[in-house]
Amino acid sequence: MNETRENFEELIVDPSLKEQLKKLVLERINVMPNTLRVAVGSEELTKEDMLRHVREEDETGKQLMEAELSFLRDLASGAVYVSA
Amino acid sequence: MTVLITRPKHDLITRYLCVWSEEILAIARAHYITVYDLEGEKANRKNLESYIKNRPPSFVFLNGHGNAEVVTGHDNEPLVDINSRLPEVIVYARSCDAGQVLGSALIKNGTQAFIGYRRKFICGYTPEKMWKPLEDPIARLFLVPSNLIVSTLLKGHSVQDAHARSKEEMYKNFKKMISSKATYEERYSARWLWSNLNNQVLLGEGGAKI
Repeated sequence: MNETRENFEELIVDPSLKEQLKKLVLERINVMPNTLRVAVGSEELTKEDMLRHVREEDETGKQLMEAELSFLRDLASGAVYVSA
Repeated sequence: MTVLITRPKHDLITRYLCVWSEEILAIARAHYITVYDLEGEKANRKNLESYIKNRPPSFVFLNGHGNAEVVTGHDNEPLVDINSRLPEVIVYARSCDAGQVLGSALIKNGTQAFIGYRRKFICGYTPEKMWKPLEDPIARLFLVPSNLIVSTLLKGHSVQDAHARSKEEMYKNFKKMISSKATYEERYSARWLWSNLNNQVLLGEGGAKI
């Protein structure tokens, strides 16, 4: 995951790519079921809270982006199908 | 063998962790293990330091909020920080970011082994079940693998075994969550469990046992 974080930090240096990734993450949060919530540390988040954090790019938003992007990356690479 | 557990319950997520920790208390009792249970308001620094000094446990299970350098208790009072000394103890911090700095600091200060998370511990949950956390089918997917760390240790296995079994259980749940048999909520939550799986770390002596 450190690797993911480093990759993520590298990616967000490029403003246009950063915006594209942010849009992608926002779209994916938009399809979150309303019957679900998530606790990220001490914060209990609804879909709307998550969207706000990602838009504002605060620490929680960054972690939500990291989680989403690393999941997508590992889905695409097939890493999720390799045992932990 | 003695276990010290902190389980504040002043907000939703700490209440979830507190309730889900009861399974651990039951396992400990079944194995005739002495448990110092700092539940709710008892999860404060004074109590923790008193136990550490006067009745040192062999395992400390911390539930609560925190950051890279601190794990907190009731009302977010700092309980353990980078200057804390928990010598010859195994520590599991079900808390955020403690694997970044705090874990290494504790090891440097004499802790035998530490399991924690490099990033925030994420837990999906079902709002309809927030008053019955044990019946929450989403939270279960996150908290059963986490409890497995503790139950594995209580059964006499090594820290490395506990860490590995927990990750295997997370992966088992994760595979179920991304399968076609999963509910939409389970499938959506999979990304968060994947984050926990990749961020759980073991520091110190992997062969240590309580």
